[in-house]
Amino acid sequence: MRGGWLAFISVSVLVLSMCVMNIFYVVGNSINGFMQSVQEKESVSVYLEPTLLDHEIQEIKADLENNPDIKSVEYISKEVALENFKKDNADEDFIMQALQEIGENPLLPVLVVKAHNHNQYVKIQDYVQNFQFSEKIARINYEKSREEMNKLNSIVENIRKIGIRLGIVFVVISILIIFNTIKLVIYAQRKEIKIMRLVGASNSYIRLPFIFSGIIIGVMSAVIATGLLFALLKFIDQYFPSIIPSGNLVMFFMNNFWKLFGAQVAFGVVIGIFSSLIAMRRYLKI
Amino acid sequence: MEEKNIIIKFENVSKVYKGGFPALENINLEITEGEFVSIIGQSGAGKSTLLKLIYAEEFPSVGSVYFNGKSLGELSRGKLPFHRRMIGTIFQDFSLLSKKTAYENIAYALEVLGVPDAEIAEDVPQILDIVGMTDKADKFPHQLSGGEKQKIAIARALIHKPLIIIADEPTVNLDPDSAMEIMELLMKINSFGTTVVLSSHHKDIVNKAQKRVIVLENGVIINDSPNGKYKLN
Repeated sequence: MRGGWLAFISVSVLVLSMCVMNIFYVVGNSINGFMQSVQEKESVSVYLEPTLLDHEIQEIKADLENNPDIKSVEYISKEVALENFKKDNADEDFIMQALQEIGENPLLPVLVVKAHNHNQYVKIQDYVQNFQFSEKIARINYEKSREEMNKLNSIVENIRKIGIRLGIVFVVISILIIFNTIKLVIYAQRKEIKIMRLVGASNSYIRLPFIFSGIIIGVMSAVIATGLLFALLKFIDQYFPSIIPSGNLVMFFMNNFWKLFGAQVAFGVVIGIFSSLIAMRRYLKI
Repeated sequence: MEEKNIIIKFENVSKVYKGGFPALENINLEITEGEFVSIIGQSGAGKSTLLKLIYAEEFPSVGSVYFNGKSLGELSRGKLPFHRRMIGTIFQDFSLLSKKTAYENIAYALEVLGVPDAEIAEDVPQILDIVGMTDKADKFPHQLSGGEKQKIAIARALIHKPLIIIADEPTVNLDPDSAMEIMELLMKINSFGTTVVLSSHHKDIVNKAQKRVIVLENGVIINDSPNGKYKLN
């Protein structure tokens, strides 16, 4: 009876640690995915002087496309820009009226520049401000996503730090609890162990059951934690489907099932055996 | 004359426990195979320690203990179990598992060594017969008297056919009649060729055996006579 209770506590605590780590892993991955999609939208808009001729604009575009930092350059002529603008603001009477009043197209032609990598935008901005065509540039607009990106970055960093610290705390607690469990089992069996020793049972014969207990605790915890993870992902998918633009979480789980499950089993078994070993070293006199 | 094997030898053995407590000082003794030896002395004289050195529960601080010619100090931890398989141990508190019957307690000693079931089924009844407990085979320890429990403990100590039986105060918790029975049983076992080393402070018992007596006092052997009489000072 007491043994069952002990086993239950050991498994529960280990399951908790695995869940904590699973959650942070999932959250970390999700935020990464999210950040990637935000990055996709990031760009530098280079507004050109309205008087430029078409071939001049193409020259600038070609120059930019040659830049290794730049992934793509999209040219939006002022006519197309105007169309887009009208479409976006069709409901705003005030704006449509103002347009009519102005008469001519107030918008500038623009080259939307995207980099391969989020870090390259500063370089690109510098380049555009100083290159041979810099007088033909009316203004540069770097999407404010930079600040938001930095905010997100630091949030992710914090989450990761908290996750790791919490994970470590739970791991330590798990080890302690399993250690204690094994210690109590050793104590409960001290008579049998004494007899085994005196009769000359080999050391591994005496040790094996405890190592085995450690393994079982590890495996059971992994199974439960994986099950809980699955349930959690399913829940998120159902009630918060739009959180991850990259696709649904259950698919992610299925695709990576063996990796996830295997990692947790390995983790559980290692902790189980490790705790068991140190309990035996301390309390099992062989 | 046949040269008998020296099964136990203590060579200048001293044992000091942690904290500086000297349990044994400069012990030198030899026990040949087949002997029946009683080690006597008051509480704290060092009897238990001496026995523990034989079954390697403790190791000497100074000197060496030899078993069948081999120094116990050279035994690795992995080899200790094999040394212990040559020894059967009996204690004053019987050490029986309360959830197992008498039969199962004895069989356990063999199970733990990996002996096949068929062999166990043969050997256990034989041993029960030797100690005279066949009709109590399926009783639990709490259903047995002190003397009966000790007989089962002896049976368990014997079942793996050891070279030597070590008994640490085997009669101390028993009434005089049971104590006598146990002594007689040990002598019967000795007559089969098994060396017996026991410790005690029951003077009548030891004197009745009329065998070798070693007297320990404050960790030192003060007397060692082949047909010793136990004298309490």
